[in-house]
Amino acid sequence: MSNIHPSAIVSPNAKLGENVVVEPFAWIHDNVEIGNDCWIGPHVIIYDGARIGNEVKIYQSASISHQPQDKKYNNEETFCFIGDKSRIHEFATIHRGTSGTGKTTLGKSVLIMAYAHVAHDCVIGDNCILANAVQLGGFTQVDDWAIIGGSVPVHQFVKIGKHVIVGGGTKIGKDIPPFIMAAGEPIKYYGLNLVGLKRRGFTSDQLEKIKMIYKIIYDSHLNFSQAKEKLMNEMPEDIFAKEVINFMNLSTRGLIGK
Amino acid sequence: MVNIHSTAIVSSKAHLGENVTISPFAIIHDEVEIGDNTFIGPKTVVYDYTTIGNNVKIFQNASIGHTPQDLKFKGEITHCYIGDNSIIHEFVTIHRGTAASLKTTIGKNVYIMDYSHVAHDCVVEDNCIIANLTQIAGHVHIYQNAVIGGNVKILQFMRIGKFCMIQGSRTINKDIPPYILAGTEEVQYGGLNSIGLRRNGFSSDQIQHIKKIYNYIFESKLNISQAKEKISAEFSNDPFAIEILAFINESKIGIISK
Repeated sequence: MSNIHPSAIVSPNAKLGENVVVEPFAWIHDNVEIGNDCWIGPHVIIYDGARIGNEVKIYQSASISHQPQDKKYNNEETFCFIGDKSRIHEFATIHRGTSGTGKTTLGKSVLIMAYAHVAHDCVIGDNCILANAVQLGGFTQVDDWAIIGGSVPVHQFVKIGKHVIVGGGTKIGKDIPPFIMAAGEPIKYYGLNLVGLKRRGFTSDQLEKIKMIYKIIYDSHLNFSQAKEKLMNEMPEDIFAKEVINFMNLSTRGLIGK
Repeated sequence: MVNIHSTAIVSSKAHLGENVTISPFAIIHDEVEIGDNTFIGPKTVVYDYTTIGNNVKIFQNASIGHTPQDLKFKGEITHCYIGDNSIIHEFVTIHRGTAASLKTTIGKNVYIMDYSHVAHDCVVEDNCIIANLTQIAGHVHIYQNAVIGGNVKILQFMRIGKFCMIQGSRTINKDIPPYILAGTEEVQYGGLNSIGLRRNGFSSDQIQHIKKIYNYIFESKLNISQAKEKISAEFSNDPFAIEILAFINESKIGIISK
């Protein structure tokens, strides 16, 4: 049984799950699917192509699945997926995909704070946090458990690895490999995200391993391709090394420096 | 006599003072108190457990007293207070407290400009000015008459001393002691806020006096503890010296440098 305020506009073609609350003056368009137990705040507008999971909360005046800010976009049908238990705060804007990938995707339990922007074709993993006024360019990839501090602009096509934490107020123009802290002007490697990794149950042995990997990448005198080769030779079976090497192979904008 | 637009939704449980104006599409929740002569702009939403003083103006689309962006928040009853004569501009978000301090407090005559964010458990004292887009994280304390420029990022738990002025676009990651200008890329001591002090009725003698104190802290070759000793020896009964020393002593994260 859904609870829709009489002043809200909900298209009869939209599919709403059980127990969805739609607050006053919200507007839900035709081609929209919303799961169970969601809360849609006042003045929120959800446009065509939105596919929203269960227990999602969307706060006042947020704009979900609107047309991409991309001149190439030509009204093709594209989507915006939002995973279960995610929270999207006031005035955040999340655009749907372009024909580039066809969709913008947010994982589960993602927290998007007020004024943040997620552009077309972005992919955000599970448990990520984007603090206030973070502005993601198109095609940005943010992997699981990454946290981006407030007011950070992110260049399009940037990749941010798992468990990364980025200091507030920095600018991101290059890829940030997994498990690390990044901050400064220009943005650079600041050691491992030890606090985050410990909170998520990484053992000291695992942390030592990851530290060794980043010593080779950032604290030897090797360039990135030499460091990659060294990792492949010295730690060929290590899962973390494999993950970091894989990230380096997929990087298109190059890694941040030290 | 209260002036409520026919499209606005005002809970019958909310307490509204005399001569309050509620503009179109605004929403006022149950547990809300609004003082006399206050203006609530169009599309603004005032959430539960908010108390707003007299002669307050809140403009279009602001979000006042919503739940905090803090994963520790579990729906506890906490408050949001807005003092008399304060002005809050478009799209501003002010969240209520968490269990940590139970409230977010905005003082009297505070001026908050467009898109600014005041997070849970913050205290903004009387007569402060916060310019556009400034994003204030949780638990920040801004003492009276401070002026924060536009697009400033203030990290959690920071303290900003009274009569300070902070240049726009800065990231504040350390406490700022009272009476000074803080600017440059890494926020630094930038001399006294003499214009602000004069406007607020400080005499030239008093200003000279404060300058002498800060000369020991920032312009001598002494470190902070040596400067503190020197100041307490030389200005033992001076109220400004006592105030500044007390501020420095209470600083958990250290004060800015020159």
